[in-house]
Amino acid sequence: MKKIAISFSFLLFSAAAVTAADDPIAVRQALMQANAASAGAASAMLKGEMDYNPVVAKAAIATFHSTAEAMGDFFPEGSNVGETRAAPAIWENPDAFRETLAKFRTDAAAAVEASGRDGPADLEAFRLAVMPVLSNCSACHENFRLEDD
Amino acid sequence: MRRALLWLATAVAAAGVVLWWATGPQPLEEDDLSGLQPGDAARGERIFVAGGCASCHARPDADGEAALELAGGRALKSAFGTFVAPNISPHPEDGIGDWSELDFANAMLRGISPEGEHYYPAFPYTSYARMEPQDVADLFAYLRTLPPVEGRPEGHSLSFPFTLRRGIGLWKLLYLDPEPVVALGEDALPEVLRGRYLVEGPGHCGECHTPRDWLGGPDLDRWLAGGPAPEGNGTVPNITPSSEGIGSWSEGDIAYFLESGFTPDFDSVGGAMVAVQKNMAHLPAEDREAIAAYLKVVEEVE
Repeated sequence: MKKIAISFSFLLFSAAAVTAADDPIAVRQALMQANAASAGAASAMLKGEMDYNPVVAKAAIATFHSTAEAMGDFFPEGSNVGETRAAPAIWENPDAFRETLAKFRTDAAAAVEASGRDGPADLEAFRLAVMPVLSNCSACHENFRLEDD
Repeated sequence: MRRALLWLATAVAAAGVVLWWATGPQPLEEDDLSGLQPGDAARGERIFVAGGCASCHARPDADGEAALELAGGRALKSAFGTFVAPNISPHPEDGIGDWSELDFANAMLRGISPEGEHYYPAFPYTSYARMEPQDVADLFAYLRTLPPVEGRPEGHSLSFPFTLRRGIGLWKLLYLDPEPVVALGEDALPEVLRGRYLVEGPGHCGECHTPRDWLGGPDLDRWLAGGPAPEGNGTVPNITPSSEGIGSWSEGDIAYFLESGFTPDFDSVGGAMVAVQKNMAHLPAEDREAIAAYLKVVEEVE
């Protein structure tokens, strides 16, 4: 039974790997969805709709950090075609795109640093750590994402 | 026969005179501004933010303090040609430093330059015409506190016949109307009225969110229903409370979007709306709430 489970999960893993290699659009969209879910959790706490929880706060920041590190690898030449709203500016102006991504990475890494082993101590500490990270969403979408068609 | 020709020529000439007269600028008079308080720069700053003046009149990509240098230069592409935002810093030669309050009110409320020419409606005076004259005076007082900047950006590049400014007089007869778009009853809440004022007037939301007809005038039957982006790429969203629009958003969702840039499903603001949302985030919370309250009562358009 255990063996079956292991081979099954291995199969799933390789399926995911194949998807990643073949379909950068699907991967970067999955990364964006992870960002959106984390922004949702962060905002619920910032707005006071959900009690502050340092574990959730740390998970949100860690998610931003990992997507920031990974994101840049999933915009290869040619991946501007298909079901995507990635703007041509990404490939026409690669330096500006890299710079924008680099800022996202820097801000996310600083937030990880600030959140420490147990997550930000209180809501105010979380706000200070996460707000600069969240500002990267619109900063990048301003020039590098097409409006709804 | 000769008499008939004479009649025809007279009729054509008369029509020409009427047309010439009707398309002429109709500026405000000094009396129209009597009764106003002296402009209050602090109040004017709130109008400046609500109107997002810097989004067009600061240098392209200027940020922070530099966005208060209103040197102009941002290009707006349209079907009629490319419009370039002018210098509106208080520089006496290159900006509006030697304008009177009346000059400024004529620009904002009537779309007329101090020289008495029509401005192109790329400068959205069709919206600003709905503003309170006192707010215009306050805005003018605020603009005068900003740094004067030397230099004029290049002019518009338009194709014939749009180079003929007199034609704008005709356009104004069709589209320039200071009345509110959405009629609200006597019992309308002050918050909704404030929201209507901000959206239809200084905020000039309808300039992008309302589709335009072939003459470039707003299609008021589809007020705020979105349409093709004026500058080409993509679509401007429908923000009426319909299923195609933002009917599923609560007032709180709308106000939060304007404050944070996040939609209810935590997508983020993008494109040209980023600069607008940054301005909205600087308004007092009550203004964002007022905008949200108004957007819930406009007519649903699919």
